[in-house]
Amino acid sequence: MPITCEFEYHKPKTLPEALKLLTDKGSCVLAGGTDLLVWMKEGLRAPKTVVDIKGIAGMGGFTLSASALRIGACVTFSELIESDVVRKKLPMLWECSRTVASVGVRNRATLAGNICSAVPSLDSAPALLVYDAVVEVRGPKATRKVPVAEWFTGVKRTALKPGELVTAVIIPLTKKKAGSCYVKLGRYRGEDLAQVGVAVLALADNEYRVAFCAVGPVPTRAKKIEALLSGKELDDALIAQAKELVPQEISPITDIRSSKEYRLHMARVMLARGLKAACARLAGDAPATGDNLV
Amino acid sequence: MKKIAIEFKLNGTQRQVEVEPSDTLLEALRERVGAKSPKCGCDRGDCGTCTVSFNGKTVRSCLVLAVEADGAEIVTLEGISKEPSKLQKEFAQRNAFQCGFCAPGIVMSATELLGKKKKPTREEIQEAIAGNLCRCTGYTPIVEAIEAAANGGK
Amino acid sequence: MAHPQSAPTEEKAQATELKTVGQPVQRIDGWEKVTGAAKFADDLDFGPGLLHAFIIDSPHAHARIKGIDTRAAEKVRGVVKVVTGKDFPFRFGLYMKDRHVFAQESVRFVGEQVAAVIATDPKTAQRAAGLVKVDYEELEPILDPVKAFEQTSDLVHPDLGSYTHVPWFFPKAKTNVAHWRKIRKGRIEKGFAEADFVLEDSYRVPRYAHCAIEPHVAIGLFDASSRLTLWTASQSPYTQRHVMAEALSQLGLKHKDVRVVTPYVGGGFGGKAGVTMEILAAALATAVKGQPVKIMWSRAQEFRNTYMRLGLVNKIKLGVKKDGTITALKHTLYWDAGAYVEYAANVVNAVGLSSTGPYKVDNVEIDSICVYTNLSPGGPYRGFGYSEFFFGLESHMSKAAEKLGMDPVEFRRKNAIRENDTLPYGAEMNPNGLLEAIDKTAAAVEWGKKEESKDPNKAIGKSVVCFWKAPAMPPNASSSAFLKFNEDGSINILASGMEIGQGFLTAMAQIASEVLSVPVSQIRVETPDTDRNPYEWQTVASHVTWSCGNAVKKAALDAKEQILDLVVRALNLPKESLFLEDACVKSWARPGWQLPLKDFVISGIQVEDYTFKGGPIMGRGTFLPEFSSAISDPETGQGGHPNVHYTTVAGGVVIELDKETGKIKVLKAVLAVDVGQAINPSMIKGQITGGMLQGLATVLYEDMRYDEKGVLLNPSFSDYKIPTALDVPAEVIPIIVETAQPDGPFGARGMGEHTMIPAAAMIANAVHAATGLRINSMPLTAEKIALALKDKAKGS
Repeated sequence: MPITCEFEYHKPKTLPEALKLLTDKGSCVLAGGTDLLVWMKEGLRAPKTVVDIKGIAGMGGFTLSASALRIGACVTFSELIESDVVRKKLPMLWECSRTVASVGVRNRATLAGNICSAVPSLDSAPALLVYDAVVEVRGPKATRKVPVAEWFTGVKRTALKPGELVTAVIIPLTKKKAGSCYVKLGRYRGEDLAQVGVAVLALADNEYRVAFCAVGPVPTRAKKIEALLSGKELDDALIAQAKELVPQEISPITDIRSSKEYRLHMARVMLARGLKAACARLAGDAPATGDNLV
Repeated sequence: MKKIAIEFKLNGTQRQVEVEPSDTLLEALRERVGAKSPKCGCDRGDCGTCTVSFNGKTVRSCLVLAVEADGAEIVTLEGISKEPSKLQKEFAQRNAFQCGFCAPGIVMSATELLGKKKKPTREEIQEAIAGNLCRCTGYTPIVEAIEAAANGGK
Repeated sequence: MAHPQSAPTEEKAQATELKTVGQPVQRIDGWEKVTGAAKFADDLDFGPGLLHAFIIDSPHAHARIKGIDTRAAEKVRGVVKVVTGKDFPFRFGLYMKDRHVFAQESVRFVGEQVAAVIATDPKTAQRAAGLVKVDYEELEPILDPVKAFEQTSDLVHPDLGSYTHVPWFFPKAKTNVAHWRKIRKGRIEKGFAEADFVLEDSYRVPRYAHCAIEPHVAIGLFDASSRLTLWTASQSPYTQRHVMAEALSQLGLKHKDVRVVTPYVGGGFGGKAGVTMEILAAALATAVKGQPVKIMWSRAQEFRNTYMRLGLVNKIKLGVKKDGTITALKHTLYWDAGAYVEYAANVVNAVGLSSTGPYKVDNVEIDSICVYTNLSPGGPYRGFGYSEFFFGLESHMSKAAEKLGMDPVEFRRKNAIRENDTLPYGAEMNPNGLLEAIDKTAAAVEWGKKEESKDPNKAIGKSVVCFWKAPAMPPNASSSAFLKFNEDGSINILASGMEIGQGFLTAMAQIASEVLSVPVSQIRVETPDTDRNPYEWQTVASHVTWSCGNAVKKAALDAKEQILDLVVRALNLPKESLFLEDACVKSWARPGWQLPLKDFVISGIQVEDYTFKGGPIMGRGTFLPEFSSAISDPETGQGGHPNVHYTTVAGGVVIELDKETGKIKVLKAVLAVDVGQAINPSMIKGQITGGMLQGLATVLYEDMRYDEKGVLLNPSFSDYKIPTALDVPAEVIPIIVETAQPDGPFGARGMGEHTMIPAAAMIANAVHAATGLRINSMPLTAEKIALALKDKAKGS
């Protein structure tokens, strides 16, 4: 299945050069290419210009400051998994990255590309949502920062405007002690697109953050559940109450991968398991980060 | 479409070829430079039989544009070592493969794993080759061969 | 017709002192495969003259073709030719000629080939194909086999009555029934009257795809001298040659003018048997004489336009006595065989003969009905219909045991078929180790030992099932082999069985090695080229070890005879004193004397007057099961001997099931198979480990999903999930049982397909044991189980 669309390939060395190329209406950005090439083969995208951003200085790598970790647009999931900083400071990002596709894909696929593709099942989004991440976007005129909570605007739609380029994802670091858990439902243990994804971040002082993916057109924070849990010690009764709120937080559909009913059922089960695991990890107990809970 | 001249190192030898921007690396390797070990199984990144090493990391060559390989170092199964590696010996001696169509990808993925980790756990081995689909073997003989190669290695 | 039941003494004598047969030798294709040297059809080079074809296929499951406009495509630079159905009005098919090379007036499934663009490169062909306009008038598709069975108008094949087919098929004109295999044995009413309990239920099995990792590919060349050569990824080079030569006979082609070359195959599982897309390469080659033309299926085309495993709805009515005796079985099977059944109808036939399972049942009524639907053509898939019906039958047997309050293993043992029992079609059962297989499986799963999960959310379930399968083949399917010695005493064997991963080449080398005492490392077995290698029907039905193994053994024995005769003639030694050992001729009469084979197998033996006796040693062997016949009474199925033998098997599993999520973890999977004589235990274990996982996937998560218009919703590995290395059972226990097959090479019989047949029933019964749930439709996904448990909890 060859790529049959015809396009020009450019690999700019500077950001202004790239932004100039991106003013062309038929242009599209190439980073890892693991989504883009499939879409081109299947005729879902037919760009006139492909702008490979991997030659631009400063687009790769991590920048750690006291308050945040800046992840360059060309950082791959493998680099996230292999990063000690990510594993220590943002264990849920590490945990969810390991559930993305498979090694050969993760060696190319980027975090920034994942959020730009913006499919409802994207594994990185729940973690970015609970970490209150910010997307750094460079436009022809200025740089702007978009909170991840405002990033996803629909299925495969984002706040990115024509001519703009994501340059980094910035994740603020909390000083609080934290335990976290990303629970992913696939049809089996091997590579699969999430049918439900649940992220739970449990912070000291009983602060909880919860997010879902694959159960609505966009990944979302579960604010009602967070409000319910806030300030309370987790126990079975509280978990039961939280599970009751799940239908108010998500809007799952039936598709080839799962029925609406099963998604709803599993969102509840996974929320309960995720809450318990996150709190256990906060207390330094098992299950270890990365252990499969479903 | 205008062709683009690219140059990359393939299994230690510098190669120059002309490709169309829409050619994949898999197409270029198979059709332009005769490296036939990477195979086309699904052409969308699911099966892993097109796996090659790209600047030291395994990639799906069906999901990389050939032009992206300009200046890169590519290794395919044909080039992983002059003499059969410990890993290849274990695969052969244990009858680990059946039809062998997935073998080029699995050997590449396993080689990458053992380069990173001397003594991987069984789970790490399974994870490392989980992106390489095999319909014949049930994987267990493959995983055991990788385990044996790791344990026999220094 | 007598079945060869008693083992010849020669076999028994050999069985005690085997040297190579029975050893876990290293595969002779191992190095090629781990170094990347192994060449598959897509790896062959044809130079810059190679043309590429892209097939325009039907988006509709059922439609009339009103017109095809190819003009725009023809104008594209690089396009060589555009062809449609009118260029090839030829019918073809293996057992029934119900297909055309390209659709004629109508299309009958989504993906059916309608036209082709041939161009100088694949991209141009695909781009130009987008310009071909096909005007369709959509018709109502028929998708459900039970509805299609009842339908008498708007038929899938209105002309069914005029199709030619093998004499053992019984199509019903003016219906959608392409074949109806009936078995009537004993008196069914009497059997049910004698029963203390009668259990009825129905089961549903969806379609499945083979998913060999290598897609179908074929290259055709019709050269200037009008000879047609095909290079294909195929299990069936000779069958392809035959079907193509017949289909294209109007072009003046004789069989001798058609050559099929088949290098290594990247997985078959039945999907590369017979002829599917390869006919296109043959036909298109004739349209561009002098230039090779290549067609390669995309993964999506693999899911749409090759053979699929048939869908099934089966209804089972079983009568049992309180003591556990089965008194009657009525088994009705409605097969969703797809739009063309030229191969699939034989799946239906094979199951019709055998769908009692490996049980002694005196009163039997079987109706196995092949129904046309507007879905992709059904065809052979590892297990050949047995995986499908055993899901229901073995679920049903466990239900019956439960109803009786009897241990399900004991129930199976009690009713298990024994040697010389009467088969459903009247012939006698072959020697078998079924009881041993059942007992060893039960021991391996620790049957009877209650186990509980440490996790309160989880439950443990166990099961033991048993089954059988016979090779499904025409009664006169044959094999042949040539064996040539080389100057250094090494050997090349020419046969046309295919190495599809099962280890055929190695098994044949071991058989020849055993006879000739030449080490396996000194033997090459060549992949087929019909110009060079002699005839083989097909590599299907788990029959090549048995059938082609017999041919290779005969070829080796033929060579051995020539060797010994030559030694007698040249050196005047008594023939009965001669034997082969360590690649030498030796004699009991002359201790210490030996003559290395390499010294004379080409150049002969020099005698006293300095002349030479002998010449190149070349063995020849053929095999055809002369006791087999497919002709029987169409209303009862009695009278023939359609199956050469049955391989009997037991399987078992221990699972841990998460009652909240419905997820199943397979802790242990066991398969005990009576292989007669293991040729290579390492390769048998490989078959079991691989086949078991392929089977487990069909029950745990795989299936083909179609929408109400007959469009496949999951034509990719993203949504048709085949297992990865993370999805294997925690433990697979392969058990080899050896009750010799009297007419098998060294007593061997086939076992390749059998490894996946029991999986669905194993899981279904273990799920029942763990949860009390009975789910009668495959697959038993986590979703289905979790939601059913939720419903059950609500109800209680």
